[in-house]
Amino acid sequence: MSAADPKGVSTDGAMMAAIRAGDQNAMALLYDRYSSIVYAVALRVLGDTGAAEDTLQEIFMQLWRNPALFDSSRGNLPAWLSVVTRNRSIDSLRKRRPETNIEEVIVSVEPDLASDTDRARALGKIRGALGDMPVAQRAVLEMAFFQGLTHTEIASKTGEPLGTIKTRIRAGLLALRKSLK
Amino acid sequence: MTTVHEQFAENLALHALGVLAGEEMATLEKHLAGCADCRGELERLRGDMALLALSAAGPTPPRRGRQRLMDSIAGEPRSPVAVSIKRRAWWPTLAWAAAAAMLVLSVILLGKNAQLRQRVITLQRQMTSQQAELKRGSEVLAAFTALDAMHVTLVAAKTSPQPQGKAIYLRRRGSLIFLANNLAPLPPHKAYELWLIPTNGSPIPAGIFKPDAHGSATVVNPPLVPGVEAKAFAITVEPEAGSPSPTSTPIMLGAGE
Repeated sequence: MSAADPKGVSTDGAMMAAIRAGDQNAMALLYDRYSSIVYAVALRVLGDTGAAEDTLQEIFMQLWRNPALFDSSRGNLPAWLSVVTRNRSIDSLRKRRPETNIEEVIVSVEPDLASDTDRARALGKIRGALGDMPVAQRAVLEMAFFQGLTHTEIASKTGEPLGTIKTRIRAGLLALRKSLK
Repeated sequence: MTTVHEQFAENLALHALGVLAGEEMATLEKHLAGCADCRGELERLRGDMALLALSAAGPTPPRRGRQRLMDSIAGEPRSPVAVSIKRRAWWPTLAWAAAAAMLVLSVILLGKNAQLRQRVITLQRQMTSQQAELKRGSEVLAAFTALDAMHVTLVAAKTSPQPQGKAIYLRRRGSLIFLANNLAPLPPHKAYELWLIPTNGSPIPAGIFKPDAHGSATVVNPPLVPGVEAKAFAITVEPEAGSPSPTSTPIMLGAGE
């Protein structure tokens, strides 16, 4: 049975199982479901459509070559793809070798983001939380996440104490978590 | 509800973002190894990162991206075998390791085989050469020792034949060939005995012999110790069984040249 279920009811777990079995249709389904997330994150970090496309291809090809990179028992696929894409894009942005061992990244998130509806609902809350966040805190969070700056670099750039930067980064992440409770 | 160790709380967030380094990272890693709560919090912080990543949603990839991926995948078909990174089967690794070991072994054996072949060829050449040398030596020796060989001693004209002996001694091997002609017949129960007279010490027995009807005799390689320097060779008449030391005056004597 192919995972490319025309009704779109296949779970991520079933898709990954089919990909592990070499089902190319399952890979197409996975791409249709999550390519926009991967591409959007890569584009936001890299700021270049060509580089974002290359990252998109790289992430999916890695998953095709080694589906076991994602352990479905220890996380949720779109969340994992988001984090892996961000990390790989930062590596590319900073012209460094891929430093993050993809297989070791475990991502734990409460809401199920597999369906478009779930993601849309979560996105509304996340954007709301970011909007409510103090500008300085949001700026620090986005510099750390989307630009890959270290806390030391952010402190130097903003003139804020290092401890303040650390606190704002953690507090910002926890605020996003709290918004989905 | 789990409890995160507050002293690591901020560094956990930095670790999730991949920006923690140096001593702080080492300290945290050490703590994480033994703290399940903090490991769980690290995973949740990555989940928070995923939420932040979702805020970037909006742009969609160009349509060509899908075809590009499918073309790439078609170029790298996989056999339908489930692969697990977390619990990687040990036997394929072992099989590859064994194959690699066999390959290395094959190369070594091929090299060894070539060496052995060369060694065999060399030995065959040596053996052929030694066989030829041995054949020549045997022919020379056969000519000296054959009963039907004609032995002629040339002396000055109008001179009656005199007893003659010729000793050829190779000290380093202890080899000795002795040829004699015109020897007088022996009394009953007597024999000639050849002596090696060393530069130091008493005469050494070098063979017992009786001449044939023509007065000729040969001694080939008597049991001598290699390395003895010979000053002269002598012949005495001794009992048939030989003597450990001369018991009569030498009838023939010759010094080395």
